[in-house]
This record gives sequence, C-alpha cells and structure tokens, in this order.
Amino acid sequence: MKETLETAIGMSRKWEARDAGREVAETAIQKLNRPPDFFLLFSTIHYEKYGGFQEFLNGVWDVLPKGTPLIGGTVPGFMNNYGCFSRGASALAVSSTDMDVAVGVGKNSKRNPFRAAKQCAEMIHNQLKDTSYKNKFLLNFISGPVIPSIPGVGQKKYIRSGFVSKFALQALGLSQKLMQKGLSREDEIFEKTVQQLPDYQMILGTSMDDYKGIKNYQFFNEQLLTNAVVNLGVATDLDLGVHTTHGMKPTDLHFTITKLGAQRHAICKINNKPAVPEFLRLLDWPEGFLTEETMLHTILYYPISLRRLGRDVPVVTPLIMKDSILVPCVIDDGEVSILTVSGQDLIQAVRENLRLFNDIQPEFGLLSTCMTILQTLGHKTNIIQEELHSYFKDKSFLLFYSAGEGTYSKDKDITYANMSFNTAIFGKQDTKK
Amino acid sequence: MRDDPIAQVLDDLMRLDDIYACIVARRNMISVMPTDEQFKPEVNQIWDVIKRAMDDVFTVIGEYSGAGLTEIEFRLQNYEVLFYVFPEMENALVAIVPALANKGLLEVELENARRDIFKIMNTPSQTTDTTQKDELYATA
Repeated sequence: MKETLETAIGMSRKWEARDAGREVAETAIQKLNRPPDFFLLFSTIHYEKYGGFQEFLNGVWDVLPKGTPLIGGTVPGFMNNYGCFSRGASALAVSSTDMDVAVGVGKNSKRNPFRAAKQCAEMIHNQLKDTSYKNKFLLNFISGPVIPSIPGVGQKKYIRSGFVSKFALQALGLSQKLMQKGLSREDEIFEKTVQQLPDYQMILGTSMDDYKGIKNYQFFNEQLLTNAVVNLGVATDLDLGVHTTHGMKPTDLHFTITKLGAQRHAICKINNKPAVPEFLRLLDWPEGFLTEETMLHTILYYPISLRRLGRDVPVVTPLIMKDSILVPCVIDDGEVSILTVSGQDLIQAVRENLRLFNDIQPEFGLLSTCMTILQTLGHKTNIIQEELHSYFKDKSFLLFYSAGEGTYSKDKDITYANMSFNTAIFGKQDTKK
Repeated sequence: MRDDPIAQVLDDLMRLDDIYACIVARRNMISVMPTDEQFKPEVNQIWDVIKRAMDDVFTVIGEYSGAGLTEIEFRLQNYEVLFYVFPEMENALVAIVPALANKGLLEVELENARRDIFKIMNTPSQTTDTTQKDELYATA
C-alpha cells in the first residue's frame, strides 16, 4: 500500500467557545482525505469567559471523528501558516497510513510530578511498545505555573516585604502539595519522562493563560483537566529531529550561588550576600530599580545561566521575593553567569535552529517557544513567522508559546531553557544535500 | 455602522480585557469607532486630556508617516496610548491600554487588526469612506 501522509492546520478566531471548537476542527479536517490519526489542539484562555473550555472541547468533538487521539491545552499565543495570534485556537491534524500514535495522561502534576510523569509515560510505552516504526517522538505537555495569591498582596511578580517573602518561600512547597498552586515543575516531569522513555525524541511545552499565571487547562481526548501532564507519542518511519536554540550570550558578569532555598528553586544568597541587592550591584542597577513594572522591561533581557546536573540551564527571573530570586526549575549551587539577549538575538536563534534542518524536506513541524519571547518581541514576532513560513513553505507548522520548554534526544540529552526556541521537524532526509 | 467591517475589527479588539478604547483616527478626527461607540469606563475620566495629546501626536504622524513612521506610543498617567500607523497614510489605529498590561500579547492582536483594516481599506467593495466618517466624528 502506498504511504500517505496528510497534514492540516485548523484555525478559529471566533469568540464563542462552542463555535470556535467546531471551526478549529472543521478547518483542519476538511483539508484531509482520511480521518486524522492525531489532533493537537491549542487555545488562548479567552474561551473561559465565552462559554468555557468544556464547551470548546464539545465543539471540537461535534466535528472530530470519535476516537481521534487528542491532546493540547491553553497557551498565551500561537503561530501557524496563517500568522501569529494571541487570541483564538489552532490545531495540527495529521493523517498517515504509516504511523502509530498514543496519548497519555498523568494527574496532579504539581502535587506529585514524578507519579504523574511515570503514569503518563507508561501509557505511551504500553501503546507503542510493539510498533515496527523506527523513529519515536513524544510531545510532553505540562500544566504551567500558577502564581499563588498571597493574602494582602495578591498575585505579584515582585514582593518587597521581607516578612511576606519569607512566608511565601516557606509556603511554596505546601502550596504546591495542598492547592497545586506554584511552579509547574515541568523540568522534573521532563527529566522523569526522559528516564522512562529514553529512546524517544521529545519536545517539552507547558500550558499557560495570558501571561498572568492565574489558570491553565489541558485537553486529553474529551476531558478538560487542570494540573495534568499530557503526552502525544508518535512512532513513524519519517525522519525527525528536535533541537533547541536560544540566542542568549554570556557576559563577563559571574557570581557564585552560596545559598539555595525553597527546595532548590530560590537563590537566597550569591557571593555570600543577599541575592537581589548583589545581583543589582553586579548589573550596576540602583537599589529599588526593580519594580513590578520595570521587571517587564529590564530583567527579561538579563537571564541567568544556572546549572543542573552538569547542564547549563538559562532561565529568566520570574519572581523576586525581597532578597531572593525565585527560578522556575530545580538548580544546583556554584558558579554561574549573567547572560544577555536582544530581540535580534532571539530572531537569530530561530534562523540558527532551522539551519540545522536544512537537509530535511519537512512534512510538518511542531514548535514550542518561551512566552517571554512573545512578550518581548510583541508584534515583531511576525518576523519569526516569516522565517518559519519560508522554511516550511506549504507544509503545516504549529508553534505554541510556553512557560518552560525544551527538547531531548539521545544524542543531545536534555536541553531545558527559558527564552528558547524548540523545534520538532518531521520529514524526509534530503540525500542530495 | 453595524455593517462597517472596520468597526467590526475594532469590536473584536474591544473584547480584549486590556483594550480600554480603540479607534481609527487622524488629526482632529475620529474616523471609525467600535460599533456601539463606547469605550470602557476606565478612560472616560481622562479622555479629554488623552484626546488633546493624541492630536499632538498626529501632527508628528502627519509629518513622518511618509518617511516610514509605523508606530508611536506615549504614556499618560496610568495609561499607554499606542498608535499603529497605516502605511503612507496620516490615519492610525489607536488603542488605549493600562500601563501595566502585557503589551507584547496585545501588540500581536493590534498588528493583526492593523493588517485587517488596511486590507479592508484597500478592498474597493468594503472600503470605509474615511472622508465621510471624518465628517461624522470630527471632534476638533
């Protein structure tokens, strides 16, 4: 039988949840000659106010053939063959006679990330263990961070009060266990998933709202979930590759982390001094320079290159609590450095990433990118869309913005980074090149 | 007004929480408003001062749009006013947003709106007669 592969991008800009669900499914499957073998679905948070996400999913299933493997969730924005959007819904539908597909789910990802990761990975393993296809791919999509609301303070990125900060740092673990609010722990889930499925090439992404960190949802077939990890596993004979680039550049500003807190998520002291004042001194920024407002325009451009199990982990500072810097992943102490990045560097990182796939004739692509890139570049993010369009041409691609992302392959190991650009490209190796 | 495709693009923008007001305007003239001609209540109290400042900015736009000026913004009290200039025109899509809004995300949709409006302006059957609108909404 002749191999067939068809892909399509679905898209809706409608406001009402059910209508949007129907449209995103319709616009995808009407371009296919046979039912999709999987359906990846991403949406911005807006449908929460316009009918709710269960209605959105119901709309999708009004149209999508029953039993189609579906995963996805809410994201701050997405880009595809049609443009770049921070409102609406988009889907990637793939249909192939030569592909095995599996989906998995693990619940309570903030309370017990390892159990959720294991459960989810086992579902994939069990469904794909007997596949005859040589290449295996996994999308590991995880519920993103939810900033806990602190009584009297609310949801802030910068907490000035020493008392509140001390309380918040101590309560972080408890908040994650009891209320499942706090960091998303996607780095831990990704590490565990890699341990469970080392032969897969993987791309990591996280679910988020509109950058506020209040709520996010995951989709698993007909189910609407929160605090879940959902996986899509694909076994195929298509050639495929994953790669991460970020464009962050080292500066000559180095420091030593001398005290960590909050289960290795907070930098409490650097160079044996309270972390935030010392960090400001190194950057030559005046005391009091960082505020809720200036954080958006300044600190995003000065990520920190941290270390985790011997790997470089470049991260953006998401939260400051008086003298401590909260980071999105588990880190190790020791010497680290401050990085810098510009809009031009971010776009260059996209070009560098795609260059690596010059010898692949792409059939379709899935990409996860840090939402701080969207926040930083604003509408100039269309430049990235143009780069992707010129690489993929008429082949489908879907990029979703994320709050913690990375890739894994056996050759390159885990790459986890903020402000990064992560690709998974499926196609055929171009032997002429 | 209900069938004006440009007003419908503005209606879509107004449904975003952090877009307090949006119009298509030029100096001293509002060309197109959202369908219900309403802004969010937050801007009502400072609308007059914002309007005066806007008119001054439109002088700059008029001067430099031909030289490639595509965007301009200013901050007034707790608000930011963003101007997305239509290529080679003295008209702009103007949006008022809170100063602490996640502007990157809003910018993406404002740019999509600018492209949609520009397309409408250049499609003969759908063209909004901005001259006529200028008369309707002239505020100076």
